[in-house]
Amino acid sequence: MLVFGALLVLTLATVGVSYLRLPETPAVVIGLGIALTKASLVAMYFMHLKGEKPMVYWPLGLTAFLFIGLLVSVLLAEGDHLFGTQFGDAFTKQ
Amino acid sequence: MEIPYTTDVRPDTGLTNPKLGIWLFLASEVMLFGSLFSSYALLRSGAPTWPVQHEILSVPLAALNTVVLIASSVTMVMAWASLAPHAAAVRAGNRDEEARSLKRYRLFMGLTLLGGAIFLVVKTIEYTDKFSHHLYPATNNFLGLYFTLTGLHAVHVIVGMIVNAYLWGPGARMWRNEPERFTNRIEVAGIYWHFVDVVWIFLFPVLYLL
Repeated sequence: MLVFGALLVLTLATVGVSYLRLPETPAVVIGLGIALTKASLVAMYFMHLKGEKPMVYWPLGLTAFLFIGLLVSVLLAEGDHLFGTQFGDAFTKQ
Repeated sequence: MEIPYTTDVRPDTGLTNPKLGIWLFLASEVMLFGSLFSSYALLRSGAPTWPVQHEILSVPLAALNTVVLIASSVTMVMAWASLAPHAAAVRAGNRDEEARSLKRYRLFMGLTLLGGAIFLVVKTIEYTDKFSHHLYPATNNFLGLYFTLTGLHAVHVIVGMIVNAYLWGPGARMWRNEPERFTNRIEVAGIYWHFVDVVWIFLFPVLYLL
Protein backbone atom coordinates (compact mmCIF):
# COMPACT_ATOMS: atom_id res chain seq x y z
CA MET A 1 0.00 0.00 0.00
CA LEU A 2 2.90 2.30 0.78
CA VAL A 3 4.38 1.49 -2.64
CA PHE A 4 0.98 2.15 -4.27
CA GLY A 5 0.83 5.56 -2.58
CA ALA A 6 4.37 6.41 -3.66
CA LEU A 7 3.59 5.43 -7.27
CA LEU A 8 0.48 7.64 -7.31
CA VAL A 9 2.37 10.61 -5.82
CA LEU A 10 5.17 10.20 -8.39
CA THR A 11 2.61 10.03 -11.24
CA LEU A 12 1.06 13.29 -10.01
CA ALA A 13 4.54 14.81 -9.69
CA THR A 14 5.62 13.93 -13.21
CA VAL A 15 2.39 15.36 -14.69
CA GLY A 16 2.73 18.46 -12.50
CA VAL A 17 6.34 19.07 -13.55
CA SER A 18 5.37 18.72 -17.21
CA TYR A 19 2.94 21.66 -16.84
CA LEU A 20 5.84 23.88 -15.71
CA ARG A 21 7.16 23.69 -19.30
CA LEU A 22 10.78 23.49 -18.16
CA PRO A 23 13.59 23.71 -20.73
CA GLU A 24 14.28 20.44 -22.51
CA THR A 25 17.26 19.09 -20.56
CA PRO A 26 15.88 19.43 -17.00
CA ALA A 27 12.46 18.23 -18.22
CA VAL A 28 13.97 15.04 -19.68
CA VAL A 29 16.15 14.42 -16.61
CA ILE A 30 13.24 14.88 -14.17
CA GLY A 31 10.71 12.99 -16.35
CA LEU A 32 12.92 9.96 -16.90
CA GLY A 33 14.24 10.11 -13.32
CA ILE A 34 10.70 9.83 -11.93
CA ALA A 35 9.88 7.03 -14.41
CA LEU A 36 13.02 5.14 -13.39
CA THR A 37 12.11 5.51 -9.70
CA LYS A 38 8.57 4.21 -10.33
CA ALA A 39 9.83 1.30 -12.42
CA SER A 40 12.33 0.37 -9.68
CA LEU A 41 9.57 0.39 -7.05
CA VAL A 42 7.42 -1.92 -9.19
CA ALA A 43 10.36 -4.25 -9.94
CA MET A 44 11.64 -4.41 -6.35
CA TYR A 45 8.33 -4.88 -4.53
CA PHE A 46 5.67 -6.12 -6.98
CA MET A 47 7.96 -8.34 -9.05
CA HIS A 48 9.80 -9.56 -5.91
CA LEU A 49 13.14 -8.57 -7.40
CA LYS A 50 14.35 -7.45 -3.96
CA GLY A 51 16.20 -10.42 -2.49
CA GLU A 52 15.93 -12.49 -5.69
CA LYS A 53 18.48 -15.19 -6.58
CA PRO A 54 21.71 -14.45 -8.51
CA MET A 55 20.44 -16.44 -11.51
CA VAL A 56 17.83 -13.71 -12.00
CA TYR A 57 20.26 -10.82 -11.55
CA TRP A 58 22.83 -12.10 -14.07
CA PRO A 59 20.63 -12.19 -17.18
CA LEU A 60 18.99 -8.92 -16.16
CA GLY A 61 22.38 -7.27 -15.67
CA LEU A 62 23.40 -8.40 -19.15
CA THR A 63 20.09 -7.09 -20.52
CA ALA A 64 20.59 -3.72 -18.84
CA PHE A 65 24.10 -3.52 -20.34
CA LEU A 66 22.83 -4.28 -23.86
CA PHE A 67 19.88 -1.90 -23.41
CA ILE A 68 22.25 0.92 -22.49
CA GLY A 69 24.27 -0.06 -25.58
CA LEU A 70 21.18 0.50 -27.72
CA LEU A 71 20.77 4.01 -26.34
CA VAL A 72 24.49 4.82 -26.57
CA SER A 73 24.38 3.91 -30.28
CA VAL A 74 21.92 6.79 -30.69
CA LEU A 75 24.36 9.14 -28.95
CA LEU A 76 27.17 8.00 -31.25
CA ALA A 77 25.05 8.84 -34.27
CA GLU A 78 23.56 12.10 -33.00
CA GLY A 79 25.98 13.34 -30.32
CA ASP A 80 27.52 15.92 -32.64
CA HIS A 81 24.57 18.23 -32.92
CA LEU A 82 22.95 17.28 -29.59
CA PHE A 83 25.89 18.50 -27.53
CA GLY A 84 27.47 20.87 -30.02
CA THR A 85 30.75 18.95 -30.05
CA GLN A 86 33.27 20.14 -32.58
CA PHE A 87 33.93 16.78 -34.15
CA GLY A 88 31.92 17.32 -37.32
CA ASP A 89 33.06 20.91 -37.98
CA ALA A 90 35.74 19.92 -40.48
CA PHE A 91 32.96 18.87 -42.82
CA THR A 92 30.42 21.59 -42.19
CA LYS A 93 32.65 24.70 -42.12
CA GLN A 94 34.21 24.89 -45.51
CA MET B 1 5.63 -35.80 -19.39
CA GLU B 2 5.67 -33.67 -16.31
CA ILE B 3 7.48 -30.35 -16.37
CA PRO B 4 10.34 -30.57 -13.87
CA TYR B 5 10.97 -28.09 -11.04
CA THR B 6 7.63 -26.27 -11.17
CA THR B 7 7.58 -25.90 -7.40
CA ASP B 8 10.91 -27.36 -6.25
CA VAL B 9 13.96 -25.19 -6.58
CA ARG B 10 16.41 -26.50 -9.14
CA PRO B 11 19.75 -26.90 -7.33
CA ASP B 12 22.01 -25.48 -10.05
CA THR B 13 19.99 -22.33 -10.81
CA GLY B 14 18.63 -21.79 -7.30
CA LEU B 15 15.22 -21.07 -8.89
CA THR B 16 12.08 -22.83 -10.01
CA ASN B 17 11.98 -23.26 -13.79
CA PRO B 18 8.98 -20.93 -14.32
CA LYS B 19 10.71 -18.14 -12.41
CA LEU B 20 13.89 -18.39 -14.50
CA GLY B 21 11.79 -18.75 -17.66
CA ILE B 22 9.70 -15.63 -17.11
CA TRP B 23 12.76 -13.51 -16.34
CA LEU B 24 14.59 -14.70 -19.47
CA PHE B 25 11.46 -13.96 -21.50
CA LEU B 26 11.19 -10.49 -19.96
CA ALA B 27 14.87 -9.87 -20.74
CA SER B 28 14.04 -10.47 -24.42
CA GLU B 29 11.03 -8.16 -24.03
CA VAL B 30 13.28 -5.41 -22.67
CA MET B 31 15.33 -5.65 -25.86
CA LEU B 32 12.19 -5.60 -28.05
CA PHE B 33 10.83 -2.44 -26.44
CA GLY B 34 14.38 -1.12 -26.08
CA SER B 35 14.90 -1.20 -29.83
CA LEU B 36 11.72 0.83 -30.31
CA PHE B 37 12.67 3.32 -27.58
CA SER B 38 16.09 3.81 -29.18
CA SER B 39 14.40 4.27 -32.59
CA TYR B 40 12.31 6.99 -30.97
CA ALA B 41 15.43 8.66 -29.53
CA LEU B 42 17.24 8.44 -32.87
CA LEU B 43 14.38 9.81 -34.97
CA ARG B 44 13.53 12.56 -32.51
CA SER B 45 17.11 13.74 -31.91
CA GLY B 46 17.79 13.72 -35.65
CA ALA B 47 14.63 15.62 -36.58
CA PRO B 48 14.87 19.33 -37.41
CA THR B 49 11.42 19.91 -35.87
CA TRP B 50 9.24 17.75 -33.66
CA PRO B 51 5.51 18.10 -32.88
CA VAL B 52 4.54 19.41 -29.43
CA GLN B 53 3.44 16.02 -28.10
CA HIS B 54 1.05 17.15 -25.36
CA GLU B 55 -0.87 19.25 -27.88
CA ILE B 56 -1.56 16.18 -30.03
CA LEU B 57 -2.14 13.62 -27.28
CA SER B 58 -4.36 13.76 -24.19
CA VAL B 59 -2.24 13.96 -21.03
CA PRO B 60 -5.28 13.60 -18.66
CA LEU B 61 -6.41 10.35 -20.35
CA ALA B 62 -2.88 8.92 -20.28
CA ALA B 63 -2.46 9.94 -16.61
CA LEU B 64 -5.76 8.18 -15.84
CA ASN B 65 -4.50 5.08 -17.65
CA THR B 66 -1.25 5.20 -15.66
CA VAL B 67 -3.21 5.16 -12.40
CA VAL B 68 -5.49 2.36 -13.69
CA LEU B 69 -2.54 0.17 -14.68
CA ILE B 70 -0.68 0.77 -11.41
CA ALA B 71 -3.87 -0.07 -9.48
CA SER B 72 -4.25 -3.30 -11.47
CA SER B 73 -0.68 -4.21 -10.54
CA VAL B 74 -1.58 -3.70 -6.89
CA THR B 75 -4.65 -5.96 -7.17
CA MET B 76 -2.47 -8.56 -8.93
CA VAL B 77 -0.11 -8.57 -5.94
CA MET B 78 -3.14 -8.97 -3.67
CA ALA B 79 -4.47 -11.86 -5.78
CA TRP B 80 -1.16 -13.66 -5.21
CA ALA B 81 -1.11 -12.70 -1.52
CA SER B 82 -4.64 -14.16 -1.14
CA LEU B 83 -3.27 -17.58 -2.05
CA ALA B 84 0.38 -17.85 -1.03
CA PRO B 85 -0.03 -18.06 2.77
CA HIS B 86 -2.80 -20.70 2.47
CA ALA B 87 -1.13 -23.17 0.09
CA ALA B 88 0.10 -25.46 2.89
CA ALA B 89 -3.34 -25.63 4.54
CA VAL B 90 -5.01 -26.42 1.18
CA ARG B 91 -2.49 -29.20 0.57
CA ALA B 92 -3.33 -30.58 4.02
CA GLY B 93 -6.98 -30.76 2.91
CA ASN B 94 -8.52 -27.74 4.64
CA ARG B 95 -11.54 -27.27 2.31
CA ASP B 96 -12.89 -24.28 4.19
CA GLU B 97 -9.65 -22.32 3.86
CA GLU B 98 -9.38 -23.44 0.24
CA ALA B 99 -12.78 -21.97 -0.65
CA ARG B 100 -12.25 -18.74 1.29
CA SER B 101 -8.84 -17.99 -0.21
CA LEU B 102 -10.04 -18.84 -3.72
CA LYS B 103 -12.96 -16.43 -3.36
CA ARG B 104 -10.64 -13.65 -2.25
CA TYR B 105 -8.21 -14.48 -5.07
CA ARG B 106 -11.02 -14.36 -7.66
CA LEU B 107 -12.10 -10.94 -6.39
CA PHE B 108 -8.62 -9.43 -6.79
CA MET B 109 -7.86 -11.22 -10.08
CA GLY B 110 -11.24 -9.98 -11.35
CA LEU B 111 -10.29 -6.41 -10.39
CA THR B 112 -6.96 -6.86 -12.22
CA LEU B 113 -8.86 -7.93 -15.35
CA LEU B 114 -11.19 -4.95 -14.93
CA GLY B 115 -8.15 -2.64 -14.77
CA GLY B 116 -6.79 -4.09 -18.02
CA ALA B 117 -10.20 -3.67 -19.67
CA ILE B 118 -10.54 -0.03 -18.55
CA PHE B 119 -7.02 0.65 -19.86
CA LEU B 120 -7.94 -0.74 -23.29
CA VAL B 121 -11.23 1.21 -23.40
CA VAL B 122 -9.39 4.48 -22.68
CA LYS B 123 -6.75 3.56 -25.27
CA THR B 124 -9.51 2.92 -27.84
CA ILE B 125 -11.03 6.33 -27.08
CA GLU B 126 -7.62 7.92 -27.65
CA TYR B 127 -7.02 6.08 -30.94
CA THR B 128 -10.52 6.90 -32.21
CA ASP B 129 -9.97 10.56 -31.38
CA LYS B 130 -6.69 10.60 -33.34
CA PHE B 131 -8.27 8.92 -36.37
CA SER B 132 -11.22 11.33 -36.33
CA HIS B 133 -8.69 14.18 -36.59
CA HIS B 134 -7.01 12.38 -39.50
CA LEU B 135 -3.94 11.58 -37.45
CA TYR B 136 -2.59 8.21 -38.62
CA PRO B 137 0.66 6.28 -38.16
CA ALA B 138 1.73 7.53 -41.60
CA THR B 139 1.07 11.19 -40.73
CA ASN B 140 4.53 11.84 -39.28
CA ASN B 141 7.41 10.13 -37.47
CA PHE B 142 6.04 10.98 -34.03
CA LEU B 143 2.63 9.43 -34.71
CA GLY B 144 4.28 6.43 -36.36
CA LEU B 145 6.30 5.84 -33.18
CA TYR B 146 3.29 6.59 -30.96
CA PHE B 147 1.07 4.00 -32.66
CA THR B 148 3.84 1.39 -32.89
CA LEU B 149 4.88 1.69 -29.24
CA THR B 150 1.39 1.99 -27.72
CA GLY B 151 0.03 -0.63 -30.13
CA LEU B 152 2.69 -3.17 -29.17
CA HIS B 153 2.07 -2.32 -25.52
CA ALA B 154 -1.70 -2.80 -25.97
CA VAL B 155 -1.04 -6.25 -27.50
CA HIS B 156 0.90 -7.08 -24.33
CA VAL B 157 -2.04 -5.93 -22.19
CA ILE B 158 -4.39 -8.16 -24.21
CA VAL B 159 -2.08 -11.20 -23.90
CA GLY B 160 -1.77 -10.61 -20.14
CA MET B 161 -5.56 -10.41 -19.84
CA ILE B 162 -6.00 -13.71 -21.71
CA VAL B 163 -3.58 -15.44 -19.33
CA ASN B 164 -5.18 -13.80 -16.28
CA ALA B 165 -8.69 -14.70 -17.48
CA TYR B 166 -7.64 -18.34 -17.82
CA LEU B 167 -6.14 -18.29 -14.32
CA TRP B 168 -9.33 -16.64 -12.98
CA GLY B 169 -11.58 -19.26 -14.60
CA PRO B 170 -10.70 -22.81 -15.62
CA GLY B 171 -7.05 -22.51 -14.56
CA ALA B 172 -8.09 -22.00 -10.92
CA ARG B 173 -9.03 -25.69 -10.62
CA MET B 174 -5.35 -26.32 -9.91
CA TRP B 175 -5.69 -24.58 -6.53
CA ARG B 176 -7.32 -27.67 -4.97
CA ASN B 177 -4.82 -30.37 -5.97
CA GLU B 178 -1.60 -28.48 -6.61
CA PRO B 179 -1.85 -25.28 -4.54
CA GLU B 180 1.88 -24.49 -4.56
CA ARG B 181 2.08 -24.87 -8.33
CA PHE B 182 -0.98 -22.65 -8.81
CA THR B 183 0.49 -19.98 -6.51
CA ASN B 184 3.66 -20.02 -8.61
CA ARG B 185 1.61 -19.56 -11.77
CA ILE B 186 -0.03 -16.48 -10.27
CA GLU B 187 3.35 -15.09 -9.24
CA VAL B 188 4.81 -15.61 -12.73
CA ALA B 189 1.72 -14.18 -14.46
CA GLY B 190 2.02 -11.27 -12.04
CA ILE B 191 5.68 -10.63 -12.90
CA TYR B 192 4.64 -10.38 -16.56
CA TRP B 193 1.71 -8.08 -15.73
CA HIS B 194 3.95 -5.77 -13.68
CA PHE B 195 6.39 -5.65 -16.60
CA VAL B 196 3.58 -4.38 -18.83
CA ASP B 197 2.99 -1.74 -16.15
CA VAL B 198 6.71 -0.80 -16.15
CA VAL B 199 6.71 -0.34 -19.94
CA TRP B 200 3.75 2.04 -19.64
CA ILE B 201 5.52 3.94 -16.84
CA PHE B 202 8.21 4.81 -19.42
CA LEU B 203 5.87 5.30 -22.39
CA PHE B 204 3.78 7.88 -20.52
CA PRO B 205 6.49 10.54 -19.99
CA VAL B 206 8.32 9.79 -23.25
CA LEU B 207 5.28 10.02 -25.56
CA TYR B 208 3.02 12.42 -23.66
CA LEU B 209 4.98 14.67 -21.33
CA LEU B 210 8.42 15.37 -22.77
